[in-house]
Amino acid sequence: MTKKLAFLFLMMAILMIASPVYAQSGGAPASTNWGPIGIGIGMGLAAGLAGLGQGKVAASVAEALARNPGARPGIQLALFIGLAFIESLVLFTFVLLFIRTVK
Amino acid sequence: MPEQLWFTELLNHHFGAATTLLLGHLGIHPAYPNAPISNAVAMELLVIGVLLVFFALVRASLSVEKPGGLQHSVEAVQEFIAEQAHGVIGHGYERYLPYAITVGYFILLSNLLGLVPGFESPTASPTVPLGCAVVTFVYYHFHGIRTQRLRYVKQFTGPVLGLSWLMLPIELISHLARILSLTVRLYANMFAGDMVTMAFFSLVPILVPVAFLGLHLFVSLVQTFIFVMLTLVYLGMAVSEEH
Repeated sequence: MTKKLAFLFLMMAILMIASPVYAQSGGAPASTNWGPIGIGIGMGLAAGLAGLGQGKVAASVAEALARNPGARPGIQLALFIGLAFIESLVLFTFVLLFIRTVK
Repeated sequence: MPEQLWFTELLNHHFGAATTLLLGHLGIHPAYPNAPISNAVAMELLVIGVLLVFFALVRASLSVEKPGGLQHSVEAVQEFIAEQAHGVIGHGYERYLPYAITVGYFILLSNLLGLVPGFESPTASPTVPLGCAVVTFVYYHFHGIRTQRLRYVKQFTGPVLGLSWLMLPIELISHLARILSLTVRLYANMFAGDMVTMAFFSLVPILVPVAFLGLHLFVSLVQTFIFVMLTLVYLGMAVSEEH
């Protein structure tokens, strides 16, 4: 255990020392390319928030089905259409990011 | 020259010159005169051909006394969509079934074609879903006007005449947004499915992409279902008497 911990701390120390090495680029950076970072943040926000929304939908559907299994067809219809509408917002983001970055 | 699948190349080899000539008469000049037929159009034509052959086979094998397996499966699809349409539209839904089922078969086969090596999904290019969405849009407005005549305008102006100046732009924009959302949903799902499979293929080229192909199969079915359901929902809203 101690051996493993020692190894871990050693690795961390090495990485800390080495971190200035990562930051070095050839000469002064002309301009940072923020595109990929923006894509990551945008897509992450869209996907994460839509995940929260779809989670709520799925929770409600599970509850509704547990209460009244006989109403399955109507509930499933609402489930699919609701999920499709939430999901399409993420897909709008995806398409926008794609057409903005890939010319 | 764009990258072509073998089927596109075949079509362009035989019909490319004629297509360019025809488009030239219509005042359209394709970017590549030697290959005017794009992959999406070629795949679309393939889907149409396969569907025509399929339905010809089904039509030839229909029988009341001894229904075969093909007839059973086609009837199952028909009954499933009819049940959904009955729930959404209600009375008089039979009239709209042929369109919904046809567009469903077309989209389903288009989506699944991407899983066959050597082909690609026509729905993974934005023009094909746009075509389906525009046809759906025209179709439900046509039936809305057919069933309600001049009362159809009321759906856009709302029940209170005083608020119609506010309701009209909102309704117009929401109706036009349906084209956008139908198009982008189908296109982006198919396209993103291909992208995800490619991304994982470039990371781990063995076994892992198969899982995403399975996911793509599931997404193909679900997106077809959603397109058909939304078509029926929009139709139901357009032809319903009270709104």
